[in-house]
Amino acid sequence: MTETHRPEHALVLVVEDDPILMLSLVDFVENAGCEAIEADSVADAIRILETRPDIRTVFTDLDMRGSTAGMELALSIRDRWPPIELLMVSSKPWDASQIPARGIVLGKPFDRRRIVAAIQKFAA
Amino acid sequence: MNNSPLPNLVDDARRLGALQSYAILDTPAEQGFDDIVQLACQLCQVPVSLVSLVAGDRQWFKARVDFPHCETDLDRSVCAHALARPDIVLVIPDLMVDARTRANPLVTGEPFIRFYAGAPLVTPDGHVLGTLCVIDKVVRPGGLTAAQTESLKALARQVVTQLELRRAVASRDAARAEEQRAYQVREALREAQARIAVAGGDLDAVLRAVVAGAMSAVPAAEGGVIELLDGDHLEYRAVLGRLAGHKGQRIPVSSSAAGHCALSREPYLMADAGTDPHVSRDLVRTLGLGSAVFAPILGGDGVLGVLKLQSAKADAFTVGDLDIVGLFTSAATAGLTEESARAETRDKDDYWRGLFDRLSEGFVVGEVVRDAGGRVTDWTYVEVNPAWGDLLGIDPKTVVGRSVREVIPGIEDAWVDEFAQVVETGVVANFTRRIDTIRRWYEGRAFRLDANRFGVIFLEVTQRVEAEARRSALLTLGDRLRDLTSTADMTRAAAEIVGRTLGATRAGFGRIEGDVDAIEIELDWTAPGIASIAGRHRFDDYGDLRGSLRRGEPLVIDNVSTDPRTRDDPGPMRAIAIGALVNMPVRERGRTVAAFIVHDVEPRTWTAEELAFLRNVADRLEVGVARVRAEELQAVLNTELAHRLKNTLTVVQSIATQTLRGVTEREPVEAFERRVLALSRAHDVLMQKSWAAARMRSVMESVLGMQADLDRFALDGPDMDISPQAALSLTLLLHELATNALKYGSLSARAGSVRIAWRTEQGKAPTLVLDWTETGGPSVTAPDGRGGFGSKLIRMGLVGTRNADLEYGQTGLRAEFRAPLTDIQIHVH
Repeated sequence: MTETHRPEHALVLVVEDDPILMLSLVDFVENAGCEAIEADSVADAIRILETRPDIRTVFTDLDMRGSTAGMELALSIRDRWPPIELLMVSSKPWDASQIPARGIVLGKPFDRRRIVAAIQKFAA
Repeated sequence: MNNSPLPNLVDDARRLGALQSYAILDTPAEQGFDDIVQLACQLCQVPVSLVSLVAGDRQWFKARVDFPHCETDLDRSVCAHALARPDIVLVIPDLMVDARTRANPLVTGEPFIRFYAGAPLVTPDGHVLGTLCVIDKVVRPGGLTAAQTESLKALARQVVTQLELRRAVASRDAARAEEQRAYQVREALREAQARIAVAGGDLDAVLRAVVAGAMSAVPAAEGGVIELLDGDHLEYRAVLGRLAGHKGQRIPVSSSAAGHCALSREPYLMADAGTDPHVSRDLVRTLGLGSAVFAPILGGDGVLGVLKLQSAKADAFTVGDLDIVGLFTSAATAGLTEESARAETRDKDDYWRGLFDRLSEGFVVGEVVRDAGGRVTDWTYVEVNPAWGDLLGIDPKTVVGRSVREVIPGIEDAWVDEFAQVVETGVVANFTRRIDTIRRWYEGRAFRLDANRFGVIFLEVTQRVEAEARRSALLTLGDRLRDLTSTADMTRAAAEIVGRTLGATRAGFGRIEGDVDAIEIELDWTAPGIASIAGRHRFDDYGDLRGSLRRGEPLVIDNVSTDPRTRDDPGPMRAIAIGALVNMPVRERGRTVAAFIVHDVEPRTWTAEELAFLRNVADRLEVGVARVRAEELQAVLNTELAHRLKNTLTVVQSIATQTLRGVTEREPVEAFERRVLALSRAHDVLMQKSWAAARMRSVMESVLGMQADLDRFALDGPDMDISPQAALSLTLLLHELATNALKYGSLSARAGSVRIAWRTEQGKAPTLVLDWTETGGPSVTAPDGRGGFGSKLIRMGLVGTRNADLEYGQTGLRAEFRAPLTDIQIHVH
């Protein structure tokens, strides 16, 4: 949130309420050559998105407190900022029909290769 | 008169025949003749006058005046000499001097007659029967005067007239008697025939009627019997009159007159038993036999027996009686054969009629009704048996002549069309079909009788068909309940099966609220045209219904308009198309928590079988729902567990990654991440079977798919359930093999692939053999030294057996792993 704008790096908003997992997610974003902006709650994420129109991708955990918070965020992003790409991780099985258009869901534990590949695809 | 032979005419047969025909000889005096001789005496002035009839052996006087004898022999006859001249009066003035009479004892002795004049008695046929003569005891030389002669002739004619008249009267009386007799015989015969007709096949009654008839037709008979031939004996079968005590007596054919009659097959008149050549003396005594008539009773080709009438007196019977007896034996024969034929016919008729009436199968004879175009539109009842009434529940007396559509309004067209088809084609039709309006099933056979008629024989099979339907419904329900995985689907399936099976109009399942206050009905099944009542319903809005359900008993109402619980106001029930209903309770911990509901728009009687069926359905549904609930709960727990496990592994992954953040070589870090990931995949597969087992192929695909596209792997082997330990071991082993193949082996080359084949080998201990064969890759070599953790995992093999045969070849690795099958497979307890 305090990062300076580096236009050469695509911005990825990482939404995660578990600090340990946040470290890994940010690690994946940087592995993909992108810049991570961290949000530790859905409300925080919305606030950032409202102020940062340059965010291209949102990378969110679907398993956050208030069990459906992550998915609600994803849906509202698709609704309010249709161009933003959505990458989600979940420990639960998901219903493909519930996933917002163009969104990608990957399981836990993390599959670094796929996560990095997805972020790079969205950033390209 | 020795010297004067009698004229030949005396012996003339025709003359004697004529005399005989007047039946006058030896009859008592009659006034008519007596008057004539009196008159003759006066007219001729003589003391003696006679009506003298000259028979073949004597002359007999029908009337006489002053003559002592009523007859004389012909030697004493003067009249005989008058026979030759029918035209004149014979006058002999002095009998003493006439050659024809001077030796006549009546002249030479008492009464010393001397004068004779006789006028011939000439019949209309010209025969001379005798004379009307006048006699004097003194000579009368002048004879008769002409007037006296004429008078005598006139009186002679008068005698003949008198004879004629007499004969005519006698003849008339005889004719009357004959007629009377014939009438009697006919009456007796008719009566006998009538009795035979009503004998009803009773042989003894037939025979008794014949004997009684014959006896009344032959008054001389004092006893009568019909003796039936039995081998070489005749048995007294029907006995009457004096023979009544002889029933059952057996007499030999060979030594009886009846036997003679039977053998000769001719009627026989036994004029005098005392001299009869055929009958034994003993029998004559025993039976008190004087005379008898016998006639054979013929039947078919032989003699059945003999009819005998007897009298204690000799000569009691005439030849005419023989004829009469013959008449009765004919009646007996006719009666017996007709009776046996009729009895046979009647027996057959009675047999079939009895069968028809006693059949437990229903039987109908129907006649089709056609419209103007000749098309069959209906049929009428021609005949039905009592069973028909029982099976249809309709009084059979009320239906004959009425049509089936009239008797059973709303009956299915098939009941007309199929029988029409039978009449048209003559092809027998077998059917099992329901008459919906009376809710009964029938099974039967229809067959053609003629161009318009058919017969149907059938049974009611409602119980059987419905029992079968219920049985098969329970089987279907079992299948559906096993396959379905949600309670909603299960209750809907059960509702539909119950509704269709019972022919109800609505069926469903509802949760009971409170203390049976209300029911929340889930989506219900309804027959076409019936609205759903899904939703909440308060029991008290429909009547006093809560009692039985609170006690855990089914609520059963056959008719909402008459049942005491609803009859006060059946309106609310009627409004939702309920005429009859069942609520079958489902209990939990002593409380009614749900009910299976069945409605019928019309009143109906719920049978014990139907209620038992509903109980069964409700129980099964309850069990099925409980199973699904348990499974659903288990699935929720599993999902939650898997979720927590994965989250934990993810946190472990992150901690390790961050811990190793300072390690410059990232490869081991990533290897660790991926091994955790592989383990997690194995758990995913295991979770599908609640961590009790996993499908081997699923385990392989899950871990291999993590590494590369699955089409680069050829899996070949029998799928099987493997234990959780085997699943984890197989996952880690394949993960390392695939990792190496991607790095160094066949999967590092674009066209390379891996074939993974497994099989079981039977032996002392069954073994699983797994082959990993890389093709299309570069040449590979064994790693240096002991290698890393990955190499160790590979050498450990399956489930730690260390039975791994590794061959580094030209196109990649080739490996064989072996493990006891018992360590791999899930143990079935």
